[in-house]
Amino acid sequence: MKEYVLLIVGAALVNNVILARFLGLCSFMGVTTRIDTAIGMGMATTFVITVSSMADWAVEAYLLEPFGLGYLRTVTFILVIAAAVQFTEMTVKKVSPALFQMLGIYLPLITTNCAVLGVALLLVAGRMSFIASTLFAFASSIGYTLVMVIFAGLRERLALANVPRLFAGPPIGFIVASLLALAFMGFSGMSTN
Amino acid sequence: MRLPTDEVPAFSAPTMVEGFARVVAVEGGVAWLEPEQTSSCGSCASSSVCGAKGIGTAASRLAARRFRLDNHAGLVVGERVVVGIRENTLVKASLTAYAIPLAAMLGAGAVAQWAAGSDGITMAAMVAGLLPGLGIARLSAGLLSSRGDLSPRFLRRANVGVVCKIS
Repeated sequence: MKEYVLLIVGAALVNNVILARFLGLCSFMGVTTRIDTAIGMGMATTFVITVSSMADWAVEAYLLEPFGLGYLRTVTFILVIAAAVQFTEMTVKKVSPALFQMLGIYLPLITTNCAVLGVALLLVAGRMSFIASTLFAFASSIGYTLVMVIFAGLRERLALANVPRLFAGPPIGFIVASLLALAFMGFSGMSTN
Repeated sequence: MRLPTDEVPAFSAPTMVEGFARVVAVEGGVAWLEPEQTSSCGSCASSSVCGAKGIGTAASRLAARRFRLDNHAGLVVGERVVVGIRENTLVKASLTAYAIPLAAMLGAGAVAQWAAGSDGITMAAMVAGLLPGLGIARLSAGLLSSRGDLSPRFLRRANVGVVCKIS
């Protein structure tokens, strides 16, 4: 049990997918103008990362590794991710068309989010069990959502702040992002491997 | 250049999340609208002069997201309007669509792992757990929809020349 807790803390905070591994920076800067949209994007990404990582683990364990097809890993994972996004889109549409109208806009953006592929490749490199890899993927995406929401909150406040014209817009956003990354470096002292 | 001061206005988020939409059809007292896809920039009013075009700009995708409004304001085809949804609606919708199925799936997986400890059984249990999760999400979405929480509302007509801000 303790190893799973350490795995979750390590994936979500210490090795945060955005601020430590620098994945998913496009959505980090692009969809964080409001907290609501950041949560929407974060939740959708969490679902897709978790589902696609489960599928990636199965493909790796039952197809790529036994048949020595490791050289097809990246392209296969991209295919699995695209299928997971498509599955999610169809499911949301089936569950509630009204929800799809509201949330469907985020799903195509996730297909090209490198964090999804990055997490899948990391869990394969880590040679984890199925449950550990699922928890790793879930925790990584929770860390992604957490940082998105924190950064969106900061940007909402920045929009009201009196920023010098030279720094207004993206420049002050990048400065705040770097300060947030410095803050998250504080977690690197935790021994979670 | 103005230096920063302490005169920062009190923080308050708007109560409605606003977006632009265009009227594409009017049928009796109902207007059909298509949202402008401002989050990826490609379909907003300034897209023809903007270099920041993103992905997901296909017309079919916009058509799929067409929605209806009661036409009390006398909207006509081609008109650009500002529509809004209540604050926190997006959060509720996200939790309903994603968090409920995910929690059911992970819960089923955790129970299977604790009971059997096999990767194959855990995987099957998680897939099986996803199905009731989707069922609960569907019920929850129906509840939100029946309360009108998921429907955009007409706020005002968009002024000519108002375009999305690319910051």
